[in-house]
Amino acid sequence: MATLQVQVRNATPMELDASFECAAGEVVALVGPSGSGKTSLLRAIAGLLKSRTLRGRVAIGDDVWFDSERGVELAPQQRRAGLVFQHYALFPHLTAAENVAIARRGAGASPIAEVFRRLGLAGLEHRRPAHLSGGQQQRVALARALAGEPKVLLLDEPFSAVDAPSRQTLYHELAALRQTLSTPMVLVTHDLAEARRLADRVVIVDRGHSLQSGSPAHVFASPRNARVAELVGIQNHFEGTFHKQEPGWGRLDWGRDGLSLRVIDKNRLPDGCAVTWVIAGEGVDLAREAGGETNALRCEIVEQLALGETSLCTLRPVALPGERVTLNPATSHLRLLAAQVGGSLWLRIAPEAIHIMPVKALEPGQAT
Amino acid sequence: MQKMHGFMRPKAHGRVIFCAGSGFVPIRRSAQRLRHNRRMDWQAARVSLLLAVLTAALLLPPGVAVARWLALTSWRGKPLAEALLMLPLLLPPTVVGFYLLLLFGQASIIGAWLAAHSSVRLVFSFDGLLLASLLINLPFMVQPIQRTFAAIPHSLREAAWVCGLGRWRTFTRIELPLAWPGLVSGVALTAAHTLGEFGVVLMVGGSIPGQTRTLSIAIFDRVQAFDLHAAHVMALALVLCSVVAVALVFAADRRRPLQER
Repeated sequence: MATLQVQVRNATPMELDASFECAAGEVVALVGPSGSGKTSLLRAIAGLLKSRTLRGRVAIGDDVWFDSERGVELAPQQRRAGLVFQHYALFPHLTAAENVAIARRGAGASPIAEVFRRLGLAGLEHRRPAHLSGGQQQRVALARALAGEPKVLLLDEPFSAVDAPSRQTLYHELAALRQTLSTPMVLVTHDLAEARRLADRVVIVDRGHSLQSGSPAHVFASPRNARVAELVGIQNHFEGTFHKQEPGWGRLDWGRDGLSLRVIDKNRLPDGCAVTWVIAGEGVDLAREAGGETNALRCEIVEQLALGETSLCTLRPVALPGERVTLNPATSHLRLLAAQVGGSLWLRIAPEAIHIMPVKALEPGQAT
Repeated sequence: MQKMHGFMRPKAHGRVIFCAGSGFVPIRRSAQRLRHNRRMDWQAARVSLLLAVLTAALLLPPGVAVARWLALTSWRGKPLAEALLMLPLLLPPTVVGFYLLLLFGQASIIGAWLAAHSSVRLVFSFDGLLLASLLINLPFMVQPIQRTFAAIPHSLREAAWVCGLGRWRTFTRIELPLAWPGLVSGVALTAAHTLGEFGVVLMVGGSIPGQTRTLSIAIFDRVQAFDLHAAHVMALALVLCSVVAVALVFAADRRRPLQER
């Protein structure tokens, strides 16, 4: 099995400038807000995006499906892409079994009954899609996508139309499917939690541009720029100025009146550079004492809302009354600290938890 | 003297009073025609049926093609084309018939060409009647089919392509089965409308027995001849056809696969 390589640019009707790869057996999630072009990218892979301005290359190993320079453009029928549509697009006049059978190519495919048994659809072969639940429809759509022995499996928001309990079951099934499937799988979702849960790598897509790709943990902890930080739902992003200090370390000046934070210098930014910075992931703690930590800020609690196991806690740094830091600590932890609105706490931020990006976004399409 | 309805009283030698809503209309008819009473004009029924079947059968393939094209494309002149297609629905049948008569007559380019190059005559002939019927029934065939094609979500076509189905197989395996209620409606409406068409038939075809005299013309003839019984029989036959056609249209519409979601 080969790697899927996608590199597409398009002008109209949807602006696209994206590139990513997906290795055999790997799940790559295209993540972005609605209308960001994720689905268009999927359609470009499947050969459904009809546009005269489409440029670039889509290939799976040596099998080139689209290459604007060489004038290659295979029809969707010739591409061997398994696509699960957002609303499944099952053929309403055909039974579940016929829906799967119509997509089969070659004689090597396993019998329909076997496929249905494996996907937990046994006994539903003769039902029409209208008489199947959302979860069952989704599985039939998946069976149909796999029936053509695809070289790449494309899933367009496959879990958006099923209720939460079915979704959990389907997550498990997708995870199980990965064990047996060695094709590249590209998943489109606007749900970050879903992407983190299912994908080996995420590609953040915004307005048709791939902004950053990498493991979910990496992208969430080290967003490439402010837009990525915003898209991955990092609440705490701020402006500041970066100064170089002793090798490996830097100083981040937050606000005009000099709240300085110690940060790690990855040698990517010049001295005095204006930066956007985020507090990413773990490495942030609330305590009653400063505790001799490097970056300990005395903060006033502005808001505290219990949301079950976690609480929403908004803090105002005493030295920078104009700023707000939002955290989601465990409710029990806040109770232990006897935190109350109007009271004060120490916010301790590990230098590794501060991620610094230049204010100006890097040129799009340079995802690494 | 045959059985007559109460509102129609023959007077000696053909002078009758026809009571029609607003007043009395005297009509002169010979007593001889009254004696030529028949029930069903089977010759006319055969012409009507043949015309209906041929019109529906011949119009179905181009109807499907035009309907699908109109349903799936959008272009600058499309509203105008659709309006032109609808024209036979809105124009008085005699007006349509009149212009078709002019168009088919030997004074026109088409008529002159046909007269010079073939033995086909379009005026007062079954061929002409059929051609006129095809033209005026286009909206009855196209409209319902166009609606069902337009109702098929495009994602189903795309799903079929991704499944490896070519354009033709996508059409036969996916689109046609989903559009069939429209096809049934189109055929039923076309056939029923053809059976009932009067103005155009009379203008283009006249009333040549066995050639262009259809049931609706025969009914008119029978009424003219005061043979109300025969008119009733044939009128009821047409009513029955229309009821069956309308029932078919509704039944097909209810069983539309796309509504099963």
